[in-house]
Amino acid sequence: MLLLFAAHCAAAAVAPLLVRWLGRNAFLPLALVPAAAAAWALPPWLGGGAARELTRAWIPGLHLGFAFRADPLSWMMVLIVGGVGALIVAYCARYFRARDEGLGAFAGELLAFAAAMLGLVLADDLFLLYVFWELTTVFSYLLIGFEPGRASARRAATRAIVITTFGGLAMLIGFIMLGRAAGTHRISEIVEHPPGGTGVAVALALVLVGALSKSAIAPFGLWLPGAMAAPTPVSAFLHAAAMVKAGVYLVARLAPAFAAVPVWRPAVFVLGAATMVLAGWRALRERDLKLLLAYGTVSQLGFMIVLVGAGSRDAALAGVAVLLAHALFKAALFMVVGIVDHATGTRDLRDLSGLGRASPLLCATAVAAAASMAGVPATLGFAGKEAAYEAFLGGRPVLLAFLVLGSAFTAAYSLRFLWGAFARKPGVEPVAVRGPAGPLLLGPPLLLAFGGVVLGVLAGPLNVPLARETAPYPAEHGGGYELSAWHGFGTALALTAGSLAAGLALFLAGRRVAGLQRRLARIEPDDVYRALMGGLDDLALQVTGTVQRGSLPGYLAVILLTAVVLAGTALGLAGPWPEPSAWRWWDGPAQVMVAVLTVAAGIAAVLAHGRARTVVLAGASGYGVAMLFVLQGAPDLALTQFLVETTSLVVFALVLRRLPPGFPRPLPTWRRRLHIAIGVFGGATAAAVTLLAAHARLAVPVSAAYPAAAEEAGGSNIVATALVDIRAWDTLGESSVVALAALGVTSMVFARRRASARRAPPRRPRTPRCGPWRA
Amino acid sequence: MNELLPLPVLLPLLAAAVKIILGPRHPRLQRTISVAVLAAVLAVAVALLLDADRSGAQVLQMGGWPAPVGITLVADRLSALMLVVSSAVTLCVMVYAIGQGTADRDHLTPLSVFHPTYLLLVAGVADAFLAGDLFNMFVGFEIMLMASYVLITLGGTLPRIRAGTTYIMVALSSSMLFLVAIAVLYAATGTVNLAQLSDRIAALPPGTSLVAELVLLTAFGVKAAVFPLSMWLPDSYPTAPAPVTAVFAGLLTKIGIYGLIRAETLLFPDDRARDLLLVAAMLSMVVGVLGALVQVDVKRLVSFTLVSHVGYMVFGVALQSAAALTATVFYVLHHITVQTTLFLVTGLVERRGGSTSLERLGGLARTAPLVGLLFFVPAMNLGGLPPLPGFLGKLGLFQAGLEDGGPLALTLVATAVVTSLLTLYALVKVWNRAFWRAPAAPGPPSGAGSFSGAAPLYEAVSPAAASRAGGAGPGGADGGEDDPGEGLAHRTARLPAPMVGASMALIALGLSYTIGGGPSWR
Amino acid sequence: MSAGAGLLAAGGGGASGGTVALAVTGGALVTAGIAMLLERSLTRLVVGILLLGNGVNLLILTGGGPAGRAPILHGGPPEAAHRPMADPLPQIMILTAIVIALASAAFVLAIAYRSGRLGGEDEVRDDIEDRRVARRRGGMRAERERRAIAGPADPIDPDELGAPEAPDAADGRDAADGRDGGAGEGGR
Repeated sequence: MLLLFAAHCAAAAVAPLLVRWLGRNAFLPLALVPAAAAAWALPPWLGGGAARELTRAWIPGLHLGFAFRADPLSWMMVLIVGGVGALIVAYCARYFRARDEGLGAFAGELLAFAAAMLGLVLADDLFLLYVFWELTTVFSYLLIGFEPGRASARRAATRAIVITTFGGLAMLIGFIMLGRAAGTHRISEIVEHPPGGTGVAVALALVLVGALSKSAIAPFGLWLPGAMAAPTPVSAFLHAAAMVKAGVYLVARLAPAFAAVPVWRPAVFVLGAATMVLAGWRALRERDLKLLLAYGTVSQLGFMIVLVGAGSRDAALAGVAVLLAHALFKAALFMVVGIVDHATGTRDLRDLSGLGRASPLLCATAVAAAASMAGVPATLGFAGKEAAYEAFLGGRPVLLAFLVLGSAFTAAYSLRFLWGAFARKPGVEPVAVRGPAGPLLLGPPLLLAFGGVVLGVLAGPLNVPLARETAPYPAEHGGGYELSAWHGFGTALALTAGSLAAGLALFLAGRRVAGLQRRLARIEPDDVYRALMGGLDDLALQVTGTVQRGSLPGYLAVILLTAVVLAGTALGLAGPWPEPSAWRWWDGPAQVMVAVLTVAAGIAAVLAHGRARTVVLAGASGYGVAMLFVLQGAPDLALTQFLVETTSLVVFALVLRRLPPGFPRPLPTWRRRLHIAIGVFGGATAAAVTLLAAHARLAVPVSAAYPAAAEEAGGSNIVATALVDIRAWDTLGESSVVALAALGVTSMVFARRRASARRAPPRRPRTPRCGPWRA
Repeated sequence: MNELLPLPVLLPLLAAAVKIILGPRHPRLQRTISVAVLAAVLAVAVALLLDADRSGAQVLQMGGWPAPVGITLVADRLSALMLVVSSAVTLCVMVYAIGQGTADRDHLTPLSVFHPTYLLLVAGVADAFLAGDLFNMFVGFEIMLMASYVLITLGGTLPRIRAGTTYIMVALSSSMLFLVAIAVLYAATGTVNLAQLSDRIAALPPGTSLVAELVLLTAFGVKAAVFPLSMWLPDSYPTAPAPVTAVFAGLLTKIGIYGLIRAETLLFPDDRARDLLLVAAMLSMVVGVLGALVQVDVKRLVSFTLVSHVGYMVFGVALQSAAALTATVFYVLHHITVQTTLFLVTGLVERRGGSTSLERLGGLARTAPLVGLLFFVPAMNLGGLPPLPGFLGKLGLFQAGLEDGGPLALTLVATAVVTSLLTLYALVKVWNRAFWRAPAAPGPPSGAGSFSGAAPLYEAVSPAAASRAGGAGPGGADGGEDDPGEGLAHRTARLPAPMVGASMALIALGLSYTIGGGPSWR
Repeated sequence: MSAGAGLLAAGGGGASGGTVALAVTGGALVTAGIAMLLERSLTRLVVGILLLGNGVNLLILTGGGPAGRAPILHGGPPEAAHRPMADPLPQIMILTAIVIALASAAFVLAIAYRSGRLGGEDEVRDDIEDRRVARRRGGMRAERERRAIAGPADPIDPDELGAPEAPDAADGRDAADGRDGGAGEGGR
């Protein structure tokens, strides 16, 4: 298993080089890798081997482990991904023109996607599955944007990644909750012993959101039609055979255990059936063949979700049959559209005419595939539909009605497709065909389409491997329903006939249907999405414009106010304050005098008008602080403060020479008052907080040991000794800060001189009489 | 007693001293010294980590003075981990800066200032991580901050000064707040030794300790750029040269987070500030990512995502369970790496595309596929794509949040999910516009090679770009800096090997977290 | 323990808590500093830093307890020897803080100098990008109306998902941009 996975990754890494070397033919050897995967999966799927497991620990703390498990359902998925993938990669070898740009990256991304898909269906750990899930999302984004110059491609890719990631993240939360409720994160164990409770219901709802968004079920489906901006092989692979099936696969995995949970069936049935009908109806309106198929895919996905999510064995059997059939016919049809596009240069069915006569083989392929899509007898699609009808015949008439209606639409748009692409339309010129399609181009769709027919005829023997996939369900008495090519005349057949007839009628009444559609088309889910994203952008603009004001005083004000509010609230909650008699008000009258003078100088500095005056007053308050230090018993401190104040006055003087003497533009009074108010709050809070803290001290400070330490160090000035010995590390840091400041000041002050000294030779011719450079 | 402990601080200090003496001559010697010293610091950090892992926290009393008289240096697993990652990141950024400096022959960045300052920055960061003493942590912060002041105004051009002034004033205010917090704590407990503080704080009346806690949290919050203290960041970080912004965005904010972690786990282990931190985290996440959606310049966009993701880390700190803290630490380490990488690659984008404004960039996926790959991987990492470490960190946080189960925690999990989606959306927008959309300006520069392995001695400037730069007036010919978003910087076809190599090394480091994530998740 | 126990003034709470006068002075200087810090002129900012720094230093000193004699062993007049010593640790911290504040102020002054040299002003301006965003926000209503008339997308972000599709989207024809030109090209 791991070998296969590694081979895919290696191929993805090597692909760009291969393309550079071999051109578009590089796709052929690359196709061997998914083919190998299919070859690996075929024998156990057909033969019925036991499930294989592979476990390695990864991050146990996150409950994330490398747990892989291959059981019949996985094998079928690997077969589909590998088989259809190989054919599509081979198709790419002729689909792209030799001189197309970006093929190297494309090939790499395609193979990486295949690797991720492989990992997804083989993963047995919830989070490992999520890992691969998101990887497919990302690669899909890159693949859709193959022609990045087109805005529609970019938009579609963005839409796809946003919606599927949204679903993915919801699913992740669901997985976390599910894992916690179940006590294990191994999917196989969870399915065997499912947990219960309301938490599980919520978790499952979230998981369903993820699965449904990936499989383009309403209301998350609107990314898929847009994704048709991708090149046709991408549409064939990702959006028909592989990526969108991931959601169906997940639902199929979890349904045996959880179908009975209250939220499951209503969600699955309602959304799936609604999708089937609405998308089918929409497909009848499309004029672009690829879009028609896209809506058809959405419709079929709805069908599949209903089937695999129903929770009964028969429905599940029908589901996997339809899954297989759909992979075959949809990929084939997309490839046919690609050939049509290449050959005629258009995909608009109003312009195509007479193509059936021009390329009969192509037409036959398309007919075979479309027949399987519509559910014509002798195709796999028919066998699946029969099974589906049988499954719901007993219990759910309303659902059955919807399914039949959906099938009718399916038949109608299949006919529309065939007519649109190949029929000869009166009044329209036969379209010019550029050369017949080569074998590599035609081969894959041919194989897939006729494969659908062959498997339909062989539906009986096919039942064996398919039935094994429904093993988790309790076995029905009497062996249950079995697929076969022909069940004889029964209700199911009648329903099929009915839906085919209805489809034919709808097709023939084309014009009236179109009119009805035009009158009914009101809300496009597209508009909802656009409104949502537009609203998001508006919100972002509003919030950012309000919050990021760009003004430094504003930022500082916010910061200081936050600090003040927080500290003040805590202060208020701090309990009873000690009585006034417990406070020490001053340490001597000298202290009070100096303090008053200092404060006065500070306030005067704030209110001063000229630069020089402000600076001098601030310096005066600094000297006052130095006096306070002396009175407090800190001579070293006072000395330093004197020196520092003097130095800063000197530096100020040097700088102020270069600046105008007065301050420009005084602020409006209310602003100044606001600043002063903030200042007052800040200062008061700071002082109160410090006093409260000092009052609360219980322990002896560490500096009690300092005198002894200083004695030991041999110094007599405790502060100085501490600075250079006991706490020398701090002083080292402080010196570094000063050195840095010196570096900075030097670079600021001398930058101009350096710039003019190191003038590089000018890059443009010097005009004569060029004056001295001005910075 | 582990004698290795002071080395991460001393080595860069000594080297910086040597370089200042050497002056601007011998540029080769300067570069060799820088790289050698940073590599040595990395080696020491790894050794410390291994020691701490094996035998518990490593302690060294400076000067032999016993605690709590002297200063203690401590390296437990958290500090050692942060030290290892920060030294790796600073090494890569230095290599990148060397590549950029050489290739640009940039006159505005005098060599003799950048290198010593950068080394002193590294020394300050190391001191902050290794401090076992609150005041020493303050000094470490100050070294780091002063170095950052010098680096952010490097070159002395007007836009840099403007942005730099904002940064400097806000940082100075946060330093003052830190000092007030120290004042309060000393007044209340009589010590500044971290271990002793945690004991003594527990004995304080709850009102007092709450006050101290909140002031300290505000001081660290400004540094870490938690909303509403975060508005300065997008205004100041982007104007600095690319490697400087990278180091700031990657490291400096995380040191604030480190302070928050220490404050909340060591000093104030009760969770009275929990709700406050949770609300702040939520607002950070939302405001940051909404800001990112609106930006037109890539660097500013990434700065806003930085603010947003700080919210994730605060979320983890606030939850205070063992699982949450492990997830937070992992997320911090990952975020240092990925944010630095993104900024470095943005520098590459600027060189290749000529601008960082989304209005001007375009088509880089075809013209510079290597740069595209280098951008895509860290961008997806930041957006939370599995199996990259961004996803792992988020997964851990989600799990911890859901396990907590309280209403506020659940709201935060939902907010975190939406933020992750929107981050991805913002980065996808950048990818769309800068890499996919065809460029607005005429033609890519001549010389289709986007990566030259040869020694970069000359820039290959296409005639068109040269005439545009030259024609921009004397300011342009000076190699002068343009206002962000206005004039065009040079566009070069060659990317110096060191720049690309450094970016790739960082990406590889990031990816290695995924693989090595298992054992570190304890 | 000759000069140790009992020598320090600080100790348990109560009467040995901080001096109110010192704290109030510190608070007042902090007030002055903050008021200056919220201004726009760089000179005022530097003065604000210095005032704020002084104020905070006084607050640290307050935490050191009552005034005492200088912390010098075997020094000073013998008659003062009975007075308890002042707490040295806050002094050590304040010294470092003063020096750091000086360094910071010097650097900001150098910036003011350079700014003056370059432009003649030492004002702190608002950030340009933020102003731009604020202007876009101001013009949002006009923008919304313009969008409603299905005009072209926002010039800043033509890929914006909120933009309407091209006018012929109602036909269902355009959504995949299939018409890539004539027979020569062939769409995808």
